[in-house]
Amino acid sequence: MQEFTNNTIDLGTLPKYEETALTTPDSKYWQIIVINLLIFLFFIGAGLAVITFIDEEMRTNWFIFLGAFLVFAAFLFLVFRTSFKRRGFALREKDVLYKSGIIAETTTIVPLNRIQHVALNEGFLSRMFKLGTLHIYTAGGSSGEIRIAGVPIEQAKALKEALVQRLVVNSALED
Amino acid sequence: MSLDFSQPQRQSAAGILISGAYTLQQFVRAMFIPLALLIFKSNKTVLLYTAFGLTAILVISLIYGYFYYRKFTFYLNTLKQEFVIEKGVFGRKNLTIPVEKIQQVNINQGFLQKLIGVYSLQIDTAGSDSKEVNISAVSGQIAFALKEHLLNGEKSTGANPQTEEAALAAQNLEQDTPFIKIGSSTLLKIGLTSNYGQSIALLLGLGYAVFHNIKEVLKAFDNDNGQIEQFFKSGVTLISVGVLFAAMIILLLATNVIRTFVKYFDFQMSKHQKSLLISSGLLAKKNTLLHPSKVQITEYSQNYFQQKIGLFNMALKQAHAGQQQSEKEVRSNNMEVPGCSSLEKDEVLRMILGKLPSEGKLYRPNFRFMNLLVLFWLVLPLTAYLIFYQYLPEIRSFYPLAIIYVLATSLMIYISYTKHRITVSEDFIIKQSGIWDISQEIVAPHKIQSISTSQYPWHKSLDIGHVTLHTAAGNISFSYGNYTEIKTLVNWWLYQVESGQKDWM
Repeated sequence: MQEFTNNTIDLGTLPKYEETALTTPDSKYWQIIVINLLIFLFFIGAGLAVITFIDEEMRTNWFIFLGAFLVFAAFLFLVFRTSFKRRGFALREKDVLYKSGIIAETTTIVPLNRIQHVALNEGFLSRMFKLGTLHIYTAGGSSGEIRIAGVPIEQAKALKEALVQRLVVNSALED
Repeated sequence: MSLDFSQPQRQSAAGILISGAYTLQQFVRAMFIPLALLIFKSNKTVLLYTAFGLTAILVISLIYGYFYYRKFTFYLNTLKQEFVIEKGVFGRKNLTIPVEKIQQVNINQGFLQKLIGVYSLQIDTAGSDSKEVNISAVSGQIAFALKEHLLNGEKSTGANPQTEEAALAAQNLEQDTPFIKIGSSTLLKIGLTSNYGQSIALLLGLGYAVFHNIKEVLKAFDNDNGQIEQFFKSGVTLISVGVLFAAMIILLLATNVIRTFVKYFDFQMSKHQKSLLISSGLLAKKNTLLHPSKVQITEYSQNYFQQKIGLFNMALKQAHAGQQQSEKEVRSNNMEVPGCSSLEKDEVLRMILGKLPSEGKLYRPNFRFMNLLVLFWLVLPLTAYLIFYQYLPEIRSFYPLAIIYVLATSLMIYISYTKHRITVSEDFIIKQSGIWDISQEIVAPHKIQSISTSQYPWHKSLDIGHVTLHTAAGNISFSYGNYTEIKTLVNWWLYQVESGQKDWM
């Protein structure tokens, strides 16, 4: 990259986002995922059972449907488990990092001075487990935003406070 | 006529007429088919009643227009630098826009407005609902003076002698020497060489609407025995496909040329103080004033024909609210410059970006860029065709089409691979892409809102990854690049965004 040499900054000495240590979501969040999955699978299974019960032809081949259902369930659990293990976030001095992804591993970085606002959501289940979802908005549209799920509520509140404080400081500087 | 905007004032009284006519037009457009039916099918007394009804609606809309006019006021709060609109007949609405958040001001003159001699003024912010801030009838003097105030954020008030200067400047506004002026011959060339996609969509929509409406009318007269379908079927057998094809192309080109002329006739771009003034239009004149610093992405594009005649299309993309945007709104946020020469293009770039992008380091994608495209556009369709080939003898004779499809698609995928690249210099990021229209999108690092990088697990050992730069005017992605290089670039861009003091708007 000889094009950058007239710069006083050596690119190699810049802080590396890819080497940041990430905080993983709370392990309780996996329980929420499991509960959600079980509810989803229960409805699908119930539907299948009813159809199997009514249809004569399907009743004779019930084991095929049961097998397919089990494979589907196992597949879902596997996918969600890998995606859960991938997730992680970090608050750096000047930006927020979030890593996630089901197949591709995506890291999104939002500089603090580009944050528009921060929202903290608590779902019904999350509230029982004392977890929250931190939603960080930018002007870059929905694809450039960060949703950090499964953060312990106290920590989430502290994080939100820290980000909002920074926001106020930033806009005060601009004025 | 006072040009003191600090006091609440109304629109031009002609606005009553405009709003009345608008309401009537909306009504007639919505009720077109029932009305036409009524006129055709009924006797004189019913016709008379219909005429009465229409007149009543016109009177009511005029009365409503009058009250709307009475209740609609706007003023400029010079102390806080805010533009305030108060409106609403039944419910009141107070709109406050900080002057510094205004992205662009449009002054339009439709056909009816031209007759009466008024303009409509529209203020665009990065927020989504652009229609909210619309003053439908003001005199030209007020419109241009107000525009001046809004975009330059002048602190002057009415008592100040400066206003007269501003008014003078406003009158001179249209006389500024434009640095880009697009003549009819250029418009003709552009009309012949660009926007095929949009025109095809327009023609398809129009064709469907005509077909549908004729059917509706026939149905209403209880005469629909499928004549139209019959007509089209016999048409296809009568006219040979070749003639039809030629006719379609001529129709397409004609539509293109007409569209270009209506939209961009007498296109002029001039520099006015800190802003850019753009005006164009054949039937309805459109004036737009925008701040160069509020442009997020600057794009210019060229296809094979345009390269031969040395013309570029340009688009200046501004911030929009991200979600729930109709295509129309996105386009209104994008100022387009149809057909400028290489010199004019550089002039616009200098004005928007401050300087011309210098040479930078070029990054190309890995050849695996084509893998997924080949899978989805070649392997899957071809497999489907082969499977059907086995079971449906009817489609076997179409195999030449399949061969043409495969060749064309392969070529397109390969071209899109060779054109996909990104150039990074200290001040700019330039993304090139396209198959037929090759576009260059230029973005300055401080316009970046956030960055995403991603990688497929099977690309880890190959060190291939993707990066997306999210800006307020859309995303810019570079796919299948060297991941180590991408990570270095991301760290560099983050450093630029986080250490810089430049605001993105």
